[in-house]
Amino acid sequence: MNRKSFKGYAYLAPVLVIMLVFTAYPLVKAIFMSFCENYSIINGSYKGINLENYKDLFDDKLFIRALGNTTLYVAFVVPLSVVISLIIANLLNSHIKFQGLFQTLYFLPYVTSVIAIGVVWRWIMNSNYGLLNYILGFFGVEPIGWLSDPKYSMTSLIIFAVWKSLAFNIMIFLAALQGISPDLYAAARVDSTPRLRVFFKITVPAMMPIIAYAFIMGIINAFKVYNEVFSLFNSKAGPVNNEAITIVYYIYDQFYNNYKYGIAAAGSVVLFLLIMLFTMIQRLPGRIKAKKEAAQK
Amino acid sequence: MKMRRFMALAMATVMGASLLTACGGGSGSGSGSETTTTAAATTAAETTAAAASGETEAAETEAAAAEKSIEPTTITFWHGMNNKQEQSLTELTDKFNAENEYGITVELVNQGSYSDLQTKLMANAAADTLPDIAQAYNNYFTDYVDKVVALDDFVANDYPDWDDILESYRTENSEYGKITGVPFNKSTYLFFYNKTMFDELGLEAPKTWEDLEHIGEVILAEKGLAAIGYDSMCDMLEAALRQHGEQYVDASGALFNTAGGLETLEFIMNLYNSGYARLVGEDNYFSDSLSNGMIGGYVGSSTGVSYISTDIEGKEFELGVCPVVGDKTNAAYNAGTNIVMFAKDENNQKAAWEYMKFMTSKESTIKWAMDTGYLPIRTSAYESDEYQEFMAGDITAQAAYEQAPYGFVSKASFTGSNEIRNVVSTTLNELITEKADAQTALDTLIAEINDVLQ
Repeated sequence: MNRKSFKGYAYLAPVLVIMLVFTAYPLVKAIFMSFCENYSIINGSYKGINLENYKDLFDDKLFIRALGNTTLYVAFVVPLSVVISLIIANLLNSHIKFQGLFQTLYFLPYVTSVIAIGVVWRWIMNSNYGLLNYILGFFGVEPIGWLSDPKYSMTSLIIFAVWKSLAFNIMIFLAALQGISPDLYAAARVDSTPRLRVFFKITVPAMMPIIAYAFIMGIINAFKVYNEVFSLFNSKAGPVNNEAITIVYYIYDQFYNNYKYGIAAAGSVVLFLLIMLFTMIQRLPGRIKAKKEAAQK
Repeated sequence: MKMRRFMALAMATVMGASLLTACGGGSGSGSGSETTTTAAATTAAETTAAAASGETEAAETEAAAAEKSIEPTTITFWHGMNNKQEQSLTELTDKFNAENEYGITVELVNQGSYSDLQTKLMANAAADTLPDIAQAYNNYFTDYVDKVVALDDFVANDYPDWDDILESYRTENSEYGKITGVPFNKSTYLFFYNKTMFDELGLEAPKTWEDLEHIGEVILAEKGLAAIGYDSMCDMLEAALRQHGEQYVDASGALFNTAGGLETLEFIMNLYNSGYARLVGEDNYFSDSLSNGMIGGYVGSSTGVSYISTDIEGKEFELGVCPVVGDKTNAAYNAGTNIVMFAKDENNQKAAWEYMKFMTSKESTIKWAMDTGYLPIRTSAYESDEYQEFMAGDITAQAAYEQAPYGFVSKASFTGSNEIRNVVSTTLNELITEKADAQTALDTLIAEINDVLQ
């Protein structure tokens, strides 16, 4: 190693040490723990190294339910959130009155504690005196037990989560919208292009990178959902018996409430693999495109 | 330009909000938000000075104290008390800090709710950074009981009247085969009911299972309401089994796979399947339902009484409180934590013990009970003029006193006890939602419990 590169490594050292201690070590440790039967976090003892935790994990109907719920959550929350935020961001970007006020309003959910929002939504969705049922009442809809009827648990969670995740997407979309050259719109106006066509032919293509980013981040975050469940159902995972349990909630529950550290670790390894898989799939189209472009050149 | 201002505002709000939420506690995400309450308005220096000046309080402590030598030190106490409970705890601790002769300062650290406290204790047990003392239920430390200091020697040599502490609490604290703690904030489950509604319908406070069924029948027929609710399903089941002369669970598994167990579940499932009782649903506790006239009565913690409002406009009612019903025998579920010691340093252990003695003294437990609605832990405290006078004006305390002789504490000193609590509650919820029959309910519960312990 020459002196120049040594200096470079010296500069990198602090961050490398932090990464090793707080990212790499826990990752390796969690993977190790997941293979230890009856692992004890207190003294590090275990019965043997085998696949027992994974067997228990996939035998547990609660984990299977958590997998299903999380998939459902990702499948609905991410696309809905991206589409709705795209529409709202466009509306906010047009010349409306009180633009600043609206921008702030839509951003509020992002900066408010999920726990606080959960309290409000528990009231909105209360079956007896909630706002949502009150409004639905005008349309002749019978009161729905959003938070008390197991049938609606996932629906309520998804509605809550979509609303919660709008804020961040709207913010990044607004930033992207400001970056689109006004010339394109001016040209479209000269040709008197219909607004919908402008949206799909100019706005959306120009925003494609940021929409892809929103999707990737959205999916990663959605797989890790925990706070939303915890706050909406008031520190439970559903009204009756864990109807809205998600993978991270399951991991937390096994670790902190049931003291089954090995199973919790196995659950987190499965989650890690799932997220990795989905992220790789998502990056596939981009890579193929890049390859094609390279081939054309 | 506008965008930049918006971003600036957004950033400022983010920072503001994160500051706010940092104090919010209550989040289970393990974000590590800790609100440190420096109980000691007095500094260590001041206390030492007070001790040095030879105050007369020294005379109160027994002769043994004279030989004891404790260096001035600071003890950390993790607790989960909030609102007026925290206030009373702070007052007591301030008093201890000011008056103890050794220069001991106890620093209170609020860890949020019980579940936050439980989580943090476990994480710190793994990291070997436990506080000197903490509030804890026995099921918190099934996995690290060896880190809990055995108090047997302290109790034997330096605790004047251990037998004055109620037996069920002494039993609870000796469950692990050593004395693991001293009882602290103790409560019991009582039946709270809408006395106005009961009077109107000619109903009396229930004493037996049959009374409860009768009340359920009448209130359902006359008011179209459920008459009974249970804040804690697993505690309800254990209490009902004991009332019927059955046993619940131990380390080997479920013990109620018996004829009596089936009868108990017949009683429980009948209450729910007939509509006499209902689940708490989206509210976490029944106190709101009772306040709003949406249920006839419920079984909940004696400390929950402060959450019942009897004066909501148009829904005013008189509150009734009575002991929980009995069947073949009486059994009332006692809840509440103990103070356990983790201190490793010998001096800190001695200092912590001084504090534990102080907190469980007759004087302290009376003040604590009168301030917070928790129950005194000593017979002498119950019998004191001060508490008797307080009790005369407090129907909740009266009912709690009435059932004190048959109070029990759930056995929790085995691996899986905490998981069983959760599993039994959720399974019962599910069975009730599905309107299962008693036999199915019994079989499912037994299977689920044994599955945890296998």
